[in-house]
Amino acid sequence: MNEVAVRLRVNGRDVRASVAARRSLADFLRDDLGLTGTHVGCEHGVCGACTVLVDGRTVRSCLLLAAQLEGAEVTTVEGLTPAGGLSVLQAAFQECHALQCGFCTAGMLATAHELLAENPAPTRADIRDAIAGNLCMCTGYVNIVRAIELAARRLRESTAGRP
Amino acid sequence: MSRWVGAPLPRKEDARLTTGRGLYLDDVARAGQLHAAMLRSPHAHARVVALDASAATRLPGVHAVLTGAEAAAASRPIRPLIPTPVPLPDWCLAVDRVRYAGEPVAAVAAVDRATAEDALERIRVEYEPLPPVVDPEAALRPDSPLLYSELGTNVLWHDVFAYGDVEGAFAGADGVLRERFAIQRYASTPLETFGAIAEYDAGLDAYTFWTNDQRPGLTLAILAESLGIPQARLRLVTPDVGGAFGNKRRPAYLLVCALLARRAGRPVKYLEDRLENLGALMHACNGVMDVELAYRADGTVVALRVRDVADEGKNLVSPTQHNLIKLGNIVNGYRIGAVAYEAYSVLTTKCPSGANRGIGKPFMCFAVERAMALLARRLAMDPAELRLRNYVRAEEMPYTTPPGAQYDSGDYPATLRRALERFDYAGWRAAQARARAEGRLLGIGIATSVEPAGTNLASYELITGRRAASGSAEAAMVRVEPDGRVRAALGDPASGQGYETVVAQIVADELGLTPADVDVERGFDSSTTPWLYLSGNYSNKFSVTDVGAVLGAARAVRDKLRRIAAHRLEVSVDDVELAEAEARVRGVPGRGLAIRELARTAYADVLGLPPGEPPGLEARHAHQNPLARPVGADRTVRSQLVFSNAAHCCLVEIDRRTGAVRLLRHVVVHDCGRELNPLIVEGMVHGSTVHGLGAALLEEFRYDESGQLLTATFMDYLKPTALDVPDIEVDRLEHPSPFTPLGAKGVGEGGSIPAPAAVANAVEDALAELGVTVRSLPLTPERVWRWLQNPEEAR
Repeated sequence: MNEVAVRLRVNGRDVRASVAARRSLADFLRDDLGLTGTHVGCEHGVCGACTVLVDGRTVRSCLLLAAQLEGAEVTTVEGLTPAGGLSVLQAAFQECHALQCGFCTAGMLATAHELLAENPAPTRADIRDAIAGNLCMCTGYVNIVRAIELAARRLRESTAGRP
Repeated sequence: MSRWVGAPLPRKEDARLTTGRGLYLDDVARAGQLHAAMLRSPHAHARVVALDASAATRLPGVHAVLTGAEAAAASRPIRPLIPTPVPLPDWCLAVDRVRYAGEPVAAVAAVDRATAEDALERIRVEYEPLPPVVDPEAALRPDSPLLYSELGTNVLWHDVFAYGDVEGAFAGADGVLRERFAIQRYASTPLETFGAIAEYDAGLDAYTFWTNDQRPGLTLAILAESLGIPQARLRLVTPDVGGAFGNKRRPAYLLVCALLARRAGRPVKYLEDRLENLGALMHACNGVMDVELAYRADGTVVALRVRDVADEGKNLVSPTQHNLIKLGNIVNGYRIGAVAYEAYSVLTTKCPSGANRGIGKPFMCFAVERAMALLARRLAMDPAELRLRNYVRAEEMPYTTPPGAQYDSGDYPATLRRALERFDYAGWRAAQARARAEGRLLGIGIATSVEPAGTNLASYELITGRRAASGSAEAAMVRVEPDGRVRAALGDPASGQGYETVVAQIVADELGLTPADVDVERGFDSSTTPWLYLSGNYSNKFSVTDVGAVLGAARAVRDKLRRIAAHRLEVSVDDVELAEAEARVRGVPGRGLAIRELARTAYADVLGLPPGEPPGLEARHAHQNPLARPVGADRTVRSQLVFSNAAHCCLVEIDRRTGAVRLLRHVVVHDCGRELNPLIVEGMVHGSTVHGLGAALLEEFRYDESGQLLTATFMDYLKPTALDVPDIEVDRLEHPSPFTPLGAKGVGEGGSIPAPAAVANAVEDALAELGVTVRSLPLTPERVWRWLQNPEEAR
């Protein structure tokens, strides 16, 4: 089996690893680094459950190989979670009941994070457009849209802080 | 008393689920665990002539290989839910014949999934293809190829039921509307796929299963029988579950893991990939319903006759479910006095059918509500008016339908009226007239439905002639721990319904605590959770059985706390009440004892207990819904127990150039009795409605004539995205059920039942100028575009 040496940063920490060339980023994060907050829903790039941020942009971690990540900065839901509490987006998801089974949530949060970084005042249509690549089988999306709207408003109203 | 029940409390479980700290099945890692993969048949129907797995065994990293023949030698067949006229042995792997594309024939356990899949490529199977059986109507014909030649037919169940004077009602009617409707295969496709980990303890000869199976009580019975060991040596644990919707059950996969784990001497994990999930786990039955409505000229429907063919695929585990549930709800919300129902449950060489959100009722509702829409068209009546004329009325509750269902509560006309008001029905009819004048295809659809909760398993006696399981029940446990905090557990493992929050709300009210004081166990553990054969997460049953179990256990603990407090304070038990974490003497401010102090007495200072009071503060309680009855001599049965109801109004616009149906608005007014947590209830309504919208417009498991599934990925099997559906607008009425402890009724399935019919009615209304009749789903752009080009084909 071909092994590839990679160096990258994951949630702000340096990681050096030797990975099987065929290992996906999702499996690398979950099985090698123990970051099981990233979920695998379809393994063919449609459902969006495995979405993480690479250099600030959303990617499907099931469609990338870990070996491609040399020098990259990867952020997963664990990295989006502040110590000892919830982020603005996470708190809004809880408050608006934007999750039921919770399996899509990590990917939704990554996508919402990217959206709010680019567009601090998204309309509902903007939000629906942004999350259209993330399937949720439980909520019908209504409360996810509300939660992202709420988080955006809170972030605009506060002077500092991250999503 | 009711401080927390009824509050829209955000969920406790979200603290972990929003931060990536949930524990789903694939997050569970047992020491030394291996990973399984399954070799699946490429043919819909074939004889397995030879199977050689020796090369797979030799691949480095492979620890165990299991073939169908080996599985048959090491385990017993899986017991079917209904006995068949001749035994049809159904092992966890196919033995000498495969009956759907994707049926497993062998399994491998290896150090990782990729190695296990590599090993599958080394297994050689020789198949002799047999003719597939794809269409359920063709499967009924005497010349059809057979799945089981020993059965002599593909029909697992055929029966005819008649309630009331059906012939007389048809003979005396002013008219009869006849139409044939079909429904496609679709599924709720939880985002987490199904799977299990099995561990074998050779010293104890015992197994532990970690699984996201949603019906552990029944599954434990099957595992014990098939493995030939006592249930006392089985433990089944469920972690966080990433959605279930009825789909998450396949005892065969747990058995495969168990047999591999025993061979390998290490835990074995198997989790479906999405291809396996879409192609081989569970689809809602496709099928055909021939509907005849006998009516009077004023629009009163006097009788209903239905012939219902349910395509089970290769489902021996739970066939006839869809038929029975349709029979039990066949008059929907209408006062129809005479009903005839003919059932066919038919085997075909397709993925096994099974429970899927709403089981059978979405098709029942599609057929009945489409027929009502067609009748309104025929009589030139407003479709809302026609329904209002035919509803069971509030003053008739509880109302018994001809097949025996008892509608316990609700105001169906008021529900529709509220929906019309919220939708602004009159306003949109006027807008529609203007849009039509401009050449736009704007359509309004109405559909309404009953939404039952709780399944009375006695209804299977209609099929088997004997009673094996019956009623509807669940078990729960509440324990005040020695530190005064509370732990609760429930035999129904949640898969997104927020039980950790709702159960905490119920218990907090009973014990004078807050939900924060109550930890509800994450899932199910057969070694600690109280459970019944009937336990599980199915049939909308939380409000009609689980709540009673939780309340019973909480009240037993509450009463014990009051007895201990009364003894220590030297007052009468009747004078003690629980509030704000204390047992207080009513009317005497400042006189009381903290629950924490009473817990110390109960567990540590036991000499302080009242005479004869046993130590501890724990109670288990099982609740049986009181409405369930055995089958009547006249073949009536309450197959389901407590009835919510809903009305949907849908607004669509069709693009003439592409045939695309755009959902502009979807209004839901529902009545699930008392809402225990309105935030969670509303979320369920959104989600279930969107399941119905997906079935209406997008989702279809399409098979070709050779029995190959054409839509086996999420690129082909389309789920609704955020751009496909509008904000679901929800309003509610609240008619509590007199037959549940807190007046709550079912809410998990609701939207999935009328939504497909509402969309179909709206699309037909949009196409009124063409005179098209919608007889099947999904209403994809391709189909609608064809109708626009050639309306003749759908008139």
